[in-house]
Amino acid sequence: MTDHDIIVIGGGLSGLRAAIEAHRLGADVAVISKVHPIRSHSGAAQGGINASLGSDDSWEAHAFDTVKGSDYLADQDTVEILCKEAPARVIEMENWGTNFSRKDNGRIAQRPFGGAGFPRTCYAGDRTGHNLLHTLYEQVLKRDIRIYSEWLVTRLVVENDSCTGLVAMNMADSDMEIFRTKATILATGGYGRIYQRSTNAIINRGFGISLAYMAGVPLQDMEFVQFHPTTLWGTNILITEGARGEGGYLYNKDHERFMARYAAGAMELAPRDIVARAIQSEVDEGRGFPEGYVHLDITHLGKDKINKKLPGIRQIAIDFAGIDPVNEPIPVQPGQHYSMGGVSSNKDGETPVSGLYAVGECACISVHGANRLGGNSLLDTVVFGKKAGSAAVDYIDTVEFSSEVNFVDLLENEKKIISDMMGEGGENFAEIRDELREIMQEYVGVFRNKEKLEQAVDAIRNLKKRSRDLKVNNNSDIFNFELVNAIELKGMLELGHVIALGALAREESRGAHYRTDFLERDDEKWLRHTLAYYTPDGPELDYKDVTITQFQPERREY
Amino acid sequence: MVELIIKRQDGERLWSEKFTIEEKPGMTVLEALFYVQERIDGSLCFRYSCRGAVCGSCAMLINKIPRLACRTQISDVKDEVVDEPKDGVASVKPPGRAEGKNEVLIEPLPNLNVIRDLIVDMDDFYKLVDSIKPWINTDMNSNQKETSIDPSVQLQMERYTNCILCATCHGSCPAASRNKKYLGPASLAKAWRFYIDPRSREEDKDELLKLLDSDSGVWGCDVVYKCVSVCPKKVTPTTAILELREKIER
Repeated sequence: MTDHDIIVIGGGLSGLRAAIEAHRLGADVAVISKVHPIRSHSGAAQGGINASLGSDDSWEAHAFDTVKGSDYLADQDTVEILCKEAPARVIEMENWGTNFSRKDNGRIAQRPFGGAGFPRTCYAGDRTGHNLLHTLYEQVLKRDIRIYSEWLVTRLVVENDSCTGLVAMNMADSDMEIFRTKATILATGGYGRIYQRSTNAIINRGFGISLAYMAGVPLQDMEFVQFHPTTLWGTNILITEGARGEGGYLYNKDHERFMARYAAGAMELAPRDIVARAIQSEVDEGRGFPEGYVHLDITHLGKDKINKKLPGIRQIAIDFAGIDPVNEPIPVQPGQHYSMGGVSSNKDGETPVSGLYAVGECACISVHGANRLGGNSLLDTVVFGKKAGSAAVDYIDTVEFSSEVNFVDLLENEKKIISDMMGEGGENFAEIRDELREIMQEYVGVFRNKEKLEQAVDAIRNLKKRSRDLKVNNNSDIFNFELVNAIELKGMLELGHVIALGALAREESRGAHYRTDFLERDDEKWLRHTLAYYTPDGPELDYKDVTITQFQPERREY
Repeated sequence: MVELIIKRQDGERLWSEKFTIEEKPGMTVLEALFYVQERIDGSLCFRYSCRGAVCGSCAMLINKIPRLACRTQISDVKDEVVDEPKDGVASVKPPGRAEGKNEVLIEPLPNLNVIRDLIVDMDDFYKLVDSIKPWINTDMNSNQKETSIDPSVQLQMERYTNCILCATCHGSCPAASRNKKYLGPASLAKAWRFYIDPRSREEDKDELLKLLDSDSGVWGCDVVYKCVSVCPKKVTPTTAILELREKIER
């Protein structure tokens, strides 16, 4: 058994930022992650991080854009924190060494992004996440914060509504260990890989979210799934919104700038939900290319600007599509990108379970509501990562390590659950996983309706039944990825169920959740957050009010 | 159909195993490895994360050349001629093409201990990088102000901040092969990145140069530019090493 005051699960941006804050305030904090921190998916973020640095911009304008972008589902008190703290957090990252792109006068450069009334997205070329992640990792190194790398957390210890530790498996030798904590911070990222087409890293299976869910913490607004409009056709690797921010155009097969039909004002820089639906409509209605994509054209920006502002996506298009965007348009299609929903938590990252915090994409704080604006997720990680680190330190002063929980029995029980999964025959994780991904893509995608969603719920129930017979044939102790996959698959199925059921229940269209059988937003019935609670028979849904302060819901047009 | 020859080891045994897989258009080496792991042999081990050449997890030796498995297409490498590397460590480009060859040789990255199959002990690599203290020292409680940095300096740094610490350079390096204490191309490139950063303190830069002024530091490099050739992010460690040598000598 190992003790730490605070353990942060996840070594991406929000996790590392939380750890740095907890360490600054004197706590014994450790980070545990199933990959080395610099392999985290935060590093794949391209376009930038929003902050109202400009003298003619303001946090209020940023907040308004965020709330409107969220289709009024975001909680406005948390949005206020996000936008007010943005400049300080971005400048802090700059001071710690992030190599932001610069204007001629030496100041941090900012580019226009979708749904924003001002060019307020700070960036480091088109490798902003990579630069921020390495900076935070460097600061973690400097502070000598303990990192448990390549450990998979398999269970949170929650008793009497309080989290007192976790069980984890060292992937290098499959040994299981108990960690006692006074506070635990979930920073495990999203679940993109439950969809067939996703920009997300292969490791993004949402397992951290399901850990909290299985431990009784409600998941919030899970039906709001962001589909990024421009993912590279074929591999679905992200092609940053920055490509459009820098002036890129979208064309259908008839070389028509079709965005004029969907958002005549904002055109290509309408928010992601709107552009994703526009592209999907073009494809569905036969105006896309037959293989299911449209063109993102940046050739007119010229080689110099592309090399300076968008070198990463140029390389990606060359490496993964054999196309040089300097000469040819990039084939793009919508793909799952981000989860607006997540573990229900408040402005300090506190979940309803004391001692358990959630931040970053795995959390729903809720600053993104029904649709996140580009550049706000990186911001979310550093703002609320810091806040959760600080809140956790306040909390640990009020509690001791638990002496009530029988950790020995708990560990033995967990070992048995895992050893029961080992054996010959049975269901194979990859088959169930692939079916789940197809179902989510087909029935819980950009356009949804009752019939499709009911089919999804039924099919997922069926897969959950089959998953009880999952068997891990490989009995190696050293990096048994089949075992890791099988463990995580059970969480993926739970999340798929929550998303599909929440989407079926929500009979309206709001932000990224679009119902072809309920085309309008319905504030009277649905201006509220969904909460999903785990039960062995499937999710139980409940709802709670949205916090509205200064911006009254209006019709959302661009 | 294409054949993968994978060099495997599990701590006790060392063997070479051939897997025949169904090749799909655009298939990468990483996808081919998943094909094996998910359909043929679940015990095959390799690291992965982003599959988009940004996270640096999947560096390995493909046809004797250190590369990222996720950005290497099977169709580009299956007909490559494979020769023993001249320096006994790694090659930087294929000696030629062989018509009709339909086979890819996959081995763990050289110069690091193998844990199992294609997974090497990256801790030894990270320790070398960490030893140069790769971070900016700032007072966290001070009033923060944005640093003004000239765009040309930003671009200079960008050549090095693009490093994803995948260790392909380390796996190609003959000096790292001879001397386990040699800091290696990734650490030295990072050292230069911090040296030219206007936010680095003068005393940290002086200390850094002292640390690098040894046979395990900048003087250990053979200046053969192999690291530059294999870097998937176009980082140029050798250039950084030569710049650092000049600073030390001055």
